[in-house]
Amino acid sequence: MTASFVEQQHHDALPTTNHDELARQHFVRSFKEYLVAAVHPGLKTAYEKRAKPNFVAKHQREPENIADVGEVMRDDPHYQAWSSLLRTSQEMMWSCTQLPVERTIHELAASAQEQSQTHGSLRLDPELVIPPYHTGVDIHCQPGGYHTEYIPSDVAQGAIYDRAVYLYAMGQMGGDNADMGDSTVAWLKQEYPAFKPSKILDMGCAVGHSTLPYASGFPEAEVHAIDVAAPMVRHAHARANAKSLDVHFAQQNAESTDYADESFDLVVSHILLHETSSKAIKNIIKECHRVLKPGGWMLHVETPPYEGMSPFDTFLFDWDSENNNEPFWRKSHSLDLDELAKLGGFQRHSPIQVMVPSAFQEAQRTMTFQGGDFGGGGVWFVYGCQK
Amino acid sequence: MSDADTGANAIKLRRKAKGKRPSYFSDPDVDRLLSMIMALTGELSVTRDRLDTLERVAASKGLFSSDDIESFALNQEALDARAQRHETLFREVNRVIASALEDLEAAPSEEYRAVVDLVENDDAV
Repeated sequence: MTASFVEQQHHDALPTTNHDELARQHFVRSFKEYLVAAVHPGLKTAYEKRAKPNFVAKHQREPENIADVGEVMRDDPHYQAWSSLLRTSQEMMWSCTQLPVERTIHELAASAQEQSQTHGSLRLDPELVIPPYHTGVDIHCQPGGYHTEYIPSDVAQGAIYDRAVYLYAMGQMGGDNADMGDSTVAWLKQEYPAFKPSKILDMGCAVGHSTLPYASGFPEAEVHAIDVAAPMVRHAHARANAKSLDVHFAQQNAESTDYADESFDLVVSHILLHETSSKAIKNIIKECHRVLKPGGWMLHVETPPYEGMSPFDTFLFDWDSENNNEPFWRKSHSLDLDELAKLGGFQRHSPIQVMVPSAFQEAQRTMTFQGGDFGGGGVWFVYGCQK
Repeated sequence: MSDADTGANAIKLRRKAKGKRPSYFSDPDVDRLLSMIMALTGELSVTRDRLDTLERVAASKGLFSSDDIESFALNQEALDARAQRHETLFREVNRVIASALEDLEAAPSEEYRAVVDLVENDDAV
């Protein structure tokens, strides 16, 4: 992993860091890279030479699923060390991104308001109920989750997330963390050159890092983006302004929005579905169908389903579900997506499930899907359907 | 650089994610210890980066360069001072091990509870 160090692209809504705060963040990024490059590969060795023979000796058969692999890997010293270090790296990532935000929280809120005057718009809904799949545990271990607010007009959770996404992906999503959106826009333009959306909705937009590629990629389109968390959309709006892009942000739940029937040509989401629930995911697909114009597209960018992966690869890819507060990760990667689309009302066309190549080609990647290596696959899984 | 939001009204963010922290080793204390070691390693890295910055700033201002540091020859006084500092460092870091040995070598000390009894009850008539 000796690709040249791509720092996050500066924008005016990012928190300022002092010398040591920045050094702490760079350490976490290097720590994560070290785990991917130097500790993770040993898991395969530990499995083949130690854990699997233990399983075969005990059961007189090969491990067949996650539970089988887990039964022996959980006792393996290398797996224990890797897991403990990976969990620690995740906690350090949040900690080192929290510190500068905690120090400047009032100033960040004030400057976000100041910066949000010229481009797009922002609608908040203080009455919105934060869904239980966000309040049960803090998803991917961000203390306070997406939604916690500490002061009026707070952007803290968004400002933390903006920086943490960069560290989490170790720069593998480019300087703007925009790779999921960039890749999907590039794929859409290549596969459907005649498709010119005039109105686009991004669901579960967080800080809008995947939304902005649609605004710049389809400059003639009106782009909307929603998230349940006020600090996310506030920061997203300031961030879009800092980049001089027009996006209309709103605090809304993707399960039930206030947009009119048949009002969008394109509805997208990026790593949203695995952070919901069995009930919510059905509601979201239905809502996509409702707000789409006939002929419009729904596209959900995710990491790929487990189907077809070896038991060992599935076990490692599944790490987040029990070790990184991603309670819906496992089930969401094992759903019948064709059936899900049909249930949601997409009956005229067959759903698509494609691997879209990453638009950010400068990164040196492992080209595998594994816990702790987000963006390392070099491709994004896109699930969608035309209405 | 902005002023710190410090003082009585400073906002403290939640530092622990809601949800049980998993442990991986047979003794959860090993997980905790590893986490502390990585935090210390992080702080060591931060200090090392600060030194690196110091050297680069010094070089850019024409004060001294990294080469000056690499080619710096230790004289006898410096060698002795450093050896002394290393000894102190080892003694401090390994204090708990040395203390245990000291206890072993000394005359058997009274049970802690017995001393508590003594100081609490030495006014009994």
